[in-house]
Amino acid sequence: MRTFRVSLLVALAALAVAACGSSKKSTSTSTSTANSSTTSSTSKTGPGAGKPPIVLGDKNFEEEFVLGDLYQQALQAKGFTVTLKPNIGTSEITWKALTSGQIQMYPEYTGTLLSAIAGQTALPTSADQAYTQAKTYAEKHGFTLLNRTPFTDSDAIGTRVAFAKKYGLVTDADLKKLGHSLTLGGAPEFATRQEGLLGLEKVYGLNPTFKPIAIGLTYKALDSGQVEVTDVFTTDPQLTTGKYVVLTDPKKIFGFQNVAPVVKQSLVKTEGPAFAQTINSVSALLTIPALQKMNAAVALDKQSPAAVAHAFLVANHLA
Amino acid sequence: MHNFTEAFKFIGRNGQIQGGPHVPTLVHLTLGTLKIAGIGVALALVIALPIGLWLGHIHRGSFLAINLGNIWRALPSLAVLAIGVAFLGLGLGNVELALIVLAVPPVITNAYVAIDEVDRDVVDAARGMGMSGWEILRKVEVPLGIPLIFAGIRTAALFVVSTTTIAALTGYGGSLGDIINNESSYHLSGVLGAAICIAALALLIELVLALVQRALTPRGLKLAKAEDQSMALAPLAATDAV
Amino acid sequence: MTFLLAAAPVIPNFGGSSSSFACERANRLFCSEWVSRNWSTVLWPALRQHIVLTLIAVVLGFVISTALALIAYRRGWFERPVLIVTSILYTIPSLALFELLVPIPGFGLSRTTAEVALVSYTLLILFRNTLTGLREVPPDVRDAATGMGMGPMRSLLRVELPLALPAIIAGLRIATVTVISLATVAALIDNEGLGAPILTAISNEVFKTELIAAGGMAVALALAADGLLVLLQRRLTPWARAG
Repeated sequence: MRTFRVSLLVALAALAVAACGSSKKSTSTSTSTANSSTTSSTSKTGPGAGKPPIVLGDKNFEEEFVLGDLYQQALQAKGFTVTLKPNIGTSEITWKALTSGQIQMYPEYTGTLLSAIAGQTALPTSADQAYTQAKTYAEKHGFTLLNRTPFTDSDAIGTRVAFAKKYGLVTDADLKKLGHSLTLGGAPEFATRQEGLLGLEKVYGLNPTFKPIAIGLTYKALDSGQVEVTDVFTTDPQLTTGKYVVLTDPKKIFGFQNVAPVVKQSLVKTEGPAFAQTINSVSALLTIPALQKMNAAVALDKQSPAAVAHAFLVANHLA
Repeated sequence: MHNFTEAFKFIGRNGQIQGGPHVPTLVHLTLGTLKIAGIGVALALVIALPIGLWLGHIHRGSFLAINLGNIWRALPSLAVLAIGVAFLGLGLGNVELALIVLAVPPVITNAYVAIDEVDRDVVDAARGMGMSGWEILRKVEVPLGIPLIFAGIRTAALFVVSTTTIAALTGYGGSLGDIINNESSYHLSGVLGAAICIAALALLIELVLALVQRALTPRGLKLAKAEDQSMALAPLAATDAV
Repeated sequence: MTFLLAAAPVIPNFGGSSSSFACERANRLFCSEWVSRNWSTVLWPALRQHIVLTLIAVVLGFVISTALALIAYRRGWFERPVLIVTSILYTIPSLALFELLVPIPGFGLSRTTAEVALVSYTLLILFRNTLTGLREVPPDVRDAATGMGMGPMRSLLRVELPLALPAIIAGLRIATVTVISLATVAALIDNEGLGAPILTAISNEVFKTELIAAGGMAVALALAADGLLVLLQRRLTPWARAG
């Protein structure tokens, strides 16, 4: 009986200690996923020295972690003080965090900004138009977009190389050869978007059986043959392995998903011209191969996004 | 508030997106949800009820069995899906596995406590009347344990109904999860509209289970309850009532 | 358009030649190297945050639902509205709830916002079990208490609540493991708890070590918490083992 009581007390005490320890820690941003520091540890000299601190956020997946770290470290190298809030959440939640003033900027995809945030259903016809429309929407709400990146992380139809060879698949239109038996995997939203299943049906005349997949199983589903083709993203690191092929989209149904940092307009003014210049100089380097490699280092090698961002910036003389 | 009025408008449009493509109706998706949930609850009851009732009956093994049943519940449903997909692949089977993991603990834990807590004197009396162990369980312990057994079943049903939405993540479309996991097309108003449908479905199931519970509760117990309530109203008369 | 004409970036090798990420790269099911490298920076802090998230939710949920159950015990009509409201709260998708709360001052991207969801998830379980437990106290026992001259309050504290304890603790056991599972949602806004590594691993196509490690920790935490509650019950209801 006594051991009972003692073990109970010990356990409760341990819980209490954990509780106290953690609540003290909660004042500093937790680092569990993106391992980003919240203070600027680098030089306090440069054009950003003495400027008001910046709160930068990023969304809840690995490419966004890399982008957040890239922008934070590049700004810090110029002397800006930047707090990074990594892994905030979905686009919708991150946008709400932005509009309610909890962050001042975050990297967003132009197409996502238009469809998920602005609720626009008409598709832009070029990357520039997508960018301009997204910028117009942001400016209506007191924000602006800095320059967009060369890379676009848009949807595409991917399949195994062997499967593509067997049926001679090169473009999305070639899928018609398979007829109605085609099984297609993709995130649930793929089913209801023009730049998704609807476009494939309307523009390419396909009629696939759609299977919603959303928990990191896309390529596994391809490998195991549970789907024949799947919705992939053009910067997926798996695409560097040579096991998969992306079908081309000659009729351009998949839209444009370049990244542009959404920034509070007043922040651009108070931080001075070096702020936008620094961010734009990073964005200009972000090509599809660069992102695929960085995503691979984070997702496949499990290096920290901060270390990957640092290596990239150093190699390009930005940090 | 705007979000909620929009959500009800979304329900009024039967789940169609304004200016958007034609999508499956809310009625269709709600029925799909009901099917997934029904299978999940039924399977969980088949697994958990016998174990919980039997352990309660023998008053033994509770710690190990309940603990073993309980702890897997600690895994987030998404994690169960991610693990299950290795064995069951994409589709309904994997979804049902994740739902069973949710539903088993409340059923097993409450069924065990319900039976374990039945007054030993009553059980002894039944044994004295020559009832077998099986008869005691069926005729005495289960009827007396009905309220807590059903508390577990009702909690489990709610767990399952509200978690059916994960179906849309592993290859099984046709439930309200298609909307809840697709905010970028349906927007917050659509998600809330679908959530209202799930809540309505949950309340409907709750009502049905309450009716089943009432039908299964022995008459004597209901009478005791009625007396009980009159006693609460007139505490002074309580002694006369018994 | 000048930015599109900018020179192609130098893409470094990202530690490609070093062997420090060999295990990860080999795509093994479980990399103990990763766990030991990330224990003190990722997993241990996440576990501690998870314990705090769970404790706060269960304690607050217990207090609120016990108060509600006591009211419903005395005033029967109160049960149905509470059941309806707690059922609806349980069915609200956490993402939608967070979206509604994040813009509200005082909530935002914080643990408070996460706890609103977690506490509301416990109410249904705890309320139902506590009320059922109280109602199952045999009327003659209550009569006996009254006969012994106990007032309603003393009867409640000394007789009815203790007799309802098995059902109450059964509710606590279910609620606690449920919260350990659902606390994952905190990672959706607050980037803390075991949910952060679990969700990262789930969305990752190949690397599952985080899922196995953090999922295992969640299960171990549930085992410990469930065991503690059983011990607590045995301490509090010594009569249960007398017969």
